[in-house]
Order: sequence, then structure tokens, then C-alpha cells
Amino acid sequence: MRHLRVFWRICVETMLGIKHSGWSNWLVVSILAIALTIFGSVLQLTMTLKDVVNYFGSQMVISAFLKDNFEPGKVAQEISQFVEVRLVEVIDKNKSWGEMQKTMKVASIPNPLPNTLHIRVAKPEQVEKLAPKLQLLSGVEAVRYPMMVARRLNEVRHFFEIAGVAVTAVLAFATLIVIGNTIHLVIQARHKEIEILSLMGVGHFYIKCPFVLQGAFYGAVSALFAAVVIIGVELYVIKPYVSNELVSFASMMPTGFGYNLVETFLVMLALGMAVGAGGGAWASGRYIKI
Amino acid sequence: MIRLQNVSKSYAGRLALKDVNLHVALGEFAFLVGPSGAGKSTLMRLLYREEVPTSGNVFIGGVNLNKLSSPQIPLLRRRLGIIFQDYKLLTRQTAYDNVAYILRAHGIDEKEVRKRVNSALNVVNLEDKQDAFPDELSGGEQQRVGIARAIVNGPPVLLADEPTGNLDPATSLEIVQLLARISQRGTTVLISTHDHTIVNTMRRRVISMRAGEVATDIDSGFYEVQGQIQV
Repeated sequence: MRHLRVFWRICVETMLGIKHSGWSNWLVVSILAIALTIFGSVLQLTMTLKDVVNYFGSQMVISAFLKDNFEPGKVAQEISQFVEVRLVEVIDKNKSWGEMQKTMKVASIPNPLPNTLHIRVAKPEQVEKLAPKLQLLSGVEAVRYPMMVARRLNEVRHFFEIAGVAVTAVLAFATLIVIGNTIHLVIQARHKEIEILSLMGVGHFYIKCPFVLQGAFYGAVSALFAAVVIIGVELYVIKPYVSNELVSFASMMPTGFGYNLVETFLVMLALGMAVGAGGGAWASGRYIKI
Repeated sequence: MIRLQNVSKSYAGRLALKDVNLHVALGEFAFLVGPSGAGKSTLMRLLYREEVPTSGNVFIGGVNLNKLSSPQIPLLRRRLGIIFQDYKLLTRQTAYDNVAYILRAHGIDEKEVRKRVNSALNVVNLEDKQDAFPDELSGGEQQRVGIARAIVNGPPVLLADEPTGNLDPATSLEIVQLLARISQRGTTVLISTHDHTIVNTMRRRVISMRAGEVATDIDSGFYEVQGQIQV
């Protein structure tokens, strides 16, 4: 009960600190909201592009040509045991030959085609890992897959991952500095009060904690503003114009991709609060000398 | 209750206190006097652990303050009542809230807070001004709020650093008499001052400092006049 009362007093101190910070609250929330909006947009874009890359990757087919004396169903069953494999489709050589004869008017010769398996993977980066394993199977004569496409897709996906982390790190650092400096200003404005509290025997935690919570509060409010902007852009710009235009431009383009907006908001909220609290902790640790 | 053993303190090579030995017993009332730069404020700051001595030991209630870790310092200060020349009140809080602040920070429930704050304000005779903000109070009243805040936790030691420095003579005497009354309840009171009139009127223990040293220490003394102590 006593700890609850202390926590409540710390919350009250935090709200008083926010109230006393006046216009500088808006300054820090604006800067942080801009940073989080950029972060959220980059996150949305990165995840969407990553999904698209994954989609194309999952459409890639590895063709495994089988030796004549092996039963395609058994080999298919063996291949489906690999964790990377999402789907195995058996292409019967007689069926293929029949279709080829119908469409291409080929000469009446014995069927030269092998039984073939079309294998789809869960993730594009798994294509290059799986192909050599298939080659080692006794029933498999040869394996073919679009190697360059697989490699390029992996590179693109990897680029988006690195770019996402780099942009997030830069924005988080910039935001940390902004929050830290704002809390520093608040500490300077309240230094007399802090000195009094310290001389009265108020504990370090009680004195410093409100600044950490103040930073977290800035993070939460900024994430809310950033989410409003991102949702607004998504609903009124991307969905009605960009998505429709894109689909009509490239009909093979997959739709329905992208990070869920709620997930984006939660990530922004967590990042905003963590960066805000971090900035508050850094500033209070550095500038409050008790 | 308060004991200094061979305490010296220097700032960038300048000696502010030199081999000071001092003992103030439980419930005792004493003045620490001397001209500006004599070392009074430095000694006071050592007692509430705002500073640490360059050499020697400072004890309060048997606790060696040199050995306190940073998180232990607030615990020490809760056992001390500290009164300042500039009152150090929170300007955005009422007299009541200034006194209640420390109790609330310790998580004491509001009913108990009210009881203790009312009692402290009653001791300093300020119950009727409890809703006033510091800038609505006179200097003497602000200092009485400072005293109420210092005693609200029931500390065994009260340290007053030039508590009458900003007050007129009549109010100054009133404040010191109030501190003397508090001392009668068993609280050790140490007042640093250079106010001759008060010291000479009260005729209590006078520890006189000069150039960082304890020059004289007399039980029922007067303020030093022209290099001599009137007894």
C-alpha cells in the first residue's frame, strides 16, 4: 500500500513536471512525432516490400527431374519431409508428353521426358539451400531453379532489413538526443526544487523517476500523433489512389500486403516510450547531481 | 549526537576547516558563530552530507557520514531537520503542501500526513496560513513554514544555517526562541549565525569559529566582540 502511494505521488510529480514544462512539451512531442512518423512509414514500406519479395520468392519453383526407375510419389513424399518445403507437385511424364504432343505436334517417338517434381518453398532464401540437398537424393537426376532470381530476391530482402534497422537506429538516436535535451531544460528549470527535495531527504529514485516517466509520456503521445498521420495517409492516399493505380498497372502484383496498422502503432508506441524513457533516464542521470 | 573528529576541509588548496573537533550532545542547543568565511556553512554542509571532509570523521547519532553510500544520504537527511537562510520553500505549493511534501514522498497515508502537518504548523503557530503560498507570507512566516517542514518528521537533530539572516531583529528573536522551545522536547539544535543580538539574548552554548578553526566553545556565552568573548 505504501509503495502504491509512493508510485501515485511519482505519477503526480510527473504530471506536474509536464504541466510546468509548458510550450516545450509541444516542441518535443512535435519532433518526436515527426521522427516516429518517418519510422512508422519506413516500417510499413519495409515490411510491405519484404512481404512482396517473400511472395515472389514463394512463387519460385524448383524442378527436380527424376530417374526413370523411381516412383515419383515416393520421392515426393521423401522431399516433403524437408522443413523448407511448402508444396510438392508431381508432374507425370506421360501426362506432360501427351499435352506436349497435343500443343506442339511433336513426332511419334518414345516419351523422352522424365517424371518431374515442382517444389515450392516457404521463404525465398530457402531455394538455394534446398536445391543442393535435393540433388543428393538417389531418385533425383537433376535439379533446376532460377538461381539469379533467387539470389537477387535475397539481396533485396536483406537490403530492406538492413535499411529498416539503420533508419530506426538513426531516428531512435536523434529522438533520444531531443528528449534528453528537453528533459535537461526541465531539470534546469526545476533545479532549485530538486535541490530542496534532495536536502529534505527525498530519495534519488523519487526525484529522478518523474523525468523518466515524462520521457515515456512524450513517447506515447508522439506515437499517437504519428499513428494518426500514418493511418490518415494509408486510408485517404495509399488505399484509394496508390494501391488501385498499382493493381491496374501491374495486375500480377499481389494485394493485401503490408504490416498491420495496429502492429505498426504498437511498435511505434513501444519504441517511442522506450526512447522517451531512455532520454529521461539519460538526462536525469547526467544532469541531476544529488 | 553530533561529533566531529579532526575534521579538515579544503577547496582547491584553500583550507576552509582546519582540524575541527566538536561534540554536541543529545537535546543540546548551541550557536555556531563567526564572521563570513570562518567555516560555519562548510561545517553545516558536512553535517548534512552536502560535502565530505578532506580528512577526519563526522558522526551523527553514531553514524560515520564519510562511510555513507549515495543511496544512504537521503536516509540520513530524513533524520535531520534542515533550516536555511533563504527558506528553500517550493514556491508553487501552499504552506501545508510544503510541510506535507516529504511525508507524501515517503508514502505515508493522507490521514497521518494531515495529523503530522497540523501538529507541525501548530508548533510554529501557522495553522491559519496553511493554504497560503510562500509569496503570500512574510519572511518570518516563510521561515516558520521551513521550521515546520524540518520538524514534521520528528528528527532528533535540527540544523539551522543562518536562519535569521533575512529577517528583522524582532522576528529573528522569535524564530530562535521557537527553535529553543523545540530543543526543550529533546531535539539537538545547532544554529549557525552571526547575529550578535540573538546570541547575547539567548545565552546558550556558543561555538566560535575563526579562519576554519574552533576558536572558543563556551557553555553560556556571548558573541565574540573585538577578538574577545564576553562571559
